[in-house]
Amino acid sequence: MDSLVRDCEKLSKHQTAAMNKTLGSVEATIRALELALTEPTSLASAHQQSKQTQDAVSEQLKELCTNVAKYGKHVERTFKLDLGVVAESRAFENKRTELGQAIMLHFLRSGDFDLARSFLIEDKSIVAEDSAWERFEAMNALAEQIRTHVLEPALEWALSKRTELEALGLGLEFTLHRLRFLQLVESGASVEALGYAREWFPHSNTSSERLDEITHLMGVFMYARRLGSSPYAGLFGERRWGEGAHEFAAAFCAVQGVAGASPLAVSVAAGARALAVVSKVSSLLRERRVEWSQQDELAVEVPLPDDMRFHSVFACPVSKEQASRDNPPMALPCGHVICKASLDKLARGVRPGATASGRFKCPYCPSMAAVGDAERVHF
Amino acid sequence: MDKINVDYMLAIEEPFMKVPLEQLKREARQSQKLAERETQLVTSGLADLIKKQSSIPAEEYTCILDGLIDKLKVLKRKLEESKQEETLLIHRSKQRAADLNELNDFTSATQSGFQRWCRTRLERVLIDYMLRNGNVDTAKQIMEKSNLEHFADSSLFALVMSTERELREQHSCRGALHWCAENRSALRKIQSSLEFELRLQEFIEMIRGKKNSEAIAYAKKHLTTWSDTQLPRIQRAMTLLAFSPTTTCPPYKHMFDVARWDGLAHEFRMVIFQLYNLPSQPLLHLLLQTGLSALKTPACQSDDTSEHNRNCPVCQTDTLGKLAQGLPLSHHSNSNLVCRITGEKMNEDNPPMRLPNGYVYSLSSLTDMAHKLGGMVKCPRSGEVYSLKDAKKLFIS
Repeated sequence: MDSLVRDCEKLSKHQTAAMNKTLGSVEATIRALELALTEPTSLASAHQQSKQTQDAVSEQLKELCTNVAKYGKHVERTFKLDLGVVAESRAFENKRTELGQAIMLHFLRSGDFDLARSFLIEDKSIVAEDSAWERFEAMNALAEQIRTHVLEPALEWALSKRTELEALGLGLEFTLHRLRFLQLVESGASVEALGYAREWFPHSNTSSERLDEITHLMGVFMYARRLGSSPYAGLFGERRWGEGAHEFAAAFCAVQGVAGASPLAVSVAAGARALAVVSKVSSLLRERRVEWSQQDELAVEVPLPDDMRFHSVFACPVSKEQASRDNPPMALPCGHVICKASLDKLARGVRPGATASGRFKCPYCPSMAAVGDAERVHF
Repeated sequence: MDKINVDYMLAIEEPFMKVPLEQLKREARQSQKLAERETQLVTSGLADLIKKQSSIPAEEYTCILDGLIDKLKVLKRKLEESKQEETLLIHRSKQRAADLNELNDFTSATQSGFQRWCRTRLERVLIDYMLRNGNVDTAKQIMEKSNLEHFADSSLFALVMSTERELREQHSCRGALHWCAENRSALRKIQSSLEFELRLQEFIEMIRGKKNSEAIAYAKKHLTTWSDTQLPRIQRAMTLLAFSPTTTCPPYKHMFDVARWDGLAHEFRMVIFQLYNLPSQPLLHLLLQTGLSALKTPACQSDDTSEHNRNCPVCQTDTLGKLAQGLPLSHHSNSNLVCRITGEKMNEDNPPMRLPNGYVYSLSSLTDMAHKLGGMVKCPRSGEVYSLKDAKKLFIS
């Protein structure tokens, strides 16, 4: 990629030079012809000039084309994946409205209300539900205030949702108190900061788990006049406001029961990891006359990061099959988990290690088990 | 798993780099041809003038010379425009390459720089989607908001939209034929018959307008050049002369059908996309189709909504869930366990623990709960309460 950038720089220099030379030659011919207007005797030399220009222009522009083609070859070598096979899928035929609706929600939750308005005007099939609009307007307004160092409205919200936040195990209230406390310390209002800490630190909903952190925070007073060079300097970075706004938005979504990150953004990010993998196998599938999106299950595993895993998937280590309602995961007494079908097979003595008594050895450790000892697990 | 597979991420950016490249190739080739032709005309014009210089009156001399000077001035103006356009396209290519190049600098997917990069990618994918659908204002707003003009192929899509509109609404082939003429050699290379279809349509319209003799002359001039590959269709087209537009005879009724215009518009779009290496569907479609598939598990489709996860895109039943219907499920040959309470991955460091009722949660979530409930844990799914000691560690290989 780096070399493509350099290619472009080189090409740009060459293009400027080639075009300047070309234009220079054309201008020279124009001047020669203009001279021939007033001095007809110079016509022969104008003709000579025109011939030269013709050759120069042809040479310069041909070389430019060659250089463009060279750069093009480089691009073609870099990108060899054919997206055309994946694009044969008809999965989204007649689903434009659903997709538009998903984009609409993405705009709203990102706080891009102008984009949302424009999209509504341009695509009449899309509707923006008032509830969603209001929800994300409130969320973005409060988050924006945190970003501009105004904490009261967000704190007010957090206090009004104390029970919900508590149930979800979210420590937003404490985060906001901490931000306010540090803000007071930073502004030099030590007495007020102390008062604030006394009022809120012991009574915030998650403070029992935060004793160590509170202890640490209270030490800040020792350095009140030289925070920048203190061990506490790291707490005062500008980043804390953005992170606070981010934590607020996540908590807000959790309380409202909506996705914490934009589902559209998450899907596209997953797609960016999946598309190359899927298109490679799709070419193979096409040889077997199968269109990739028509399968029940993708033919390959797409590697996704942990934050894109939303459901437990259990694949039996013996059979490599995915567990299902009919073939659930079962735990042996030793704690190893296999699928029911594999368990039955083991018990029937299909595999070595089985004994006549119906007891068999766990495939992963030396302990013995019987079918009756295995217990169903729900992930 | 937080690593970024740069090769995979780059592989899907082919159209992003190729559109300005193809435009640049075309621009360079066209200005070369034009300049060669015009300078040659001027040179030979001058040679002629030298021959008859002594035999023509002064006014004629001046007039011819003026004509040649004008020709060169027009050429100069066109070359200047070309130069500007090429500079823009090269700059655009460089900006795009530089954007993709940033991928190499990220070491982890959780880095804020990478997340910002992904946001920009989503924005340019949305711009492409909006431009293809003709939502030009929305596309423009995204570009302006994030300064992404160089990442959008607005002029190309504007051409597609205006030509399509002309075909669909004004029933005119003018723009499309003009484009075909400009790109004739490229069209021949991909063996496109678009131009023939357009010519055929103009021919059909003449017959519809009862201008039969005009139609025959038109066919002589424009259809016969396709006789190598399209002879049977040309013959059928000529038979059309015998039918009236109200005919019910199948092949001819079909040819008179005004819906043919929509078909032409669609074909034009497919051909121009092919020439510029753009996939026939927006990249947003391809990313969502494969992405939703990679995320989709049987739990997302369960009628039991407690199986759903509010953070999972496929579980958004009224939007993305609808798009995911009918798409393949993800494939797994290895287990991947996610704690229902915290959403964290369960592995050796945070092992899955089985409560006596069979439900499994991560050790860390149960420990936290026991800490709050005095050593007891409550199953969020069944409501049963156990001692943390009753939870049994599971091994997933």
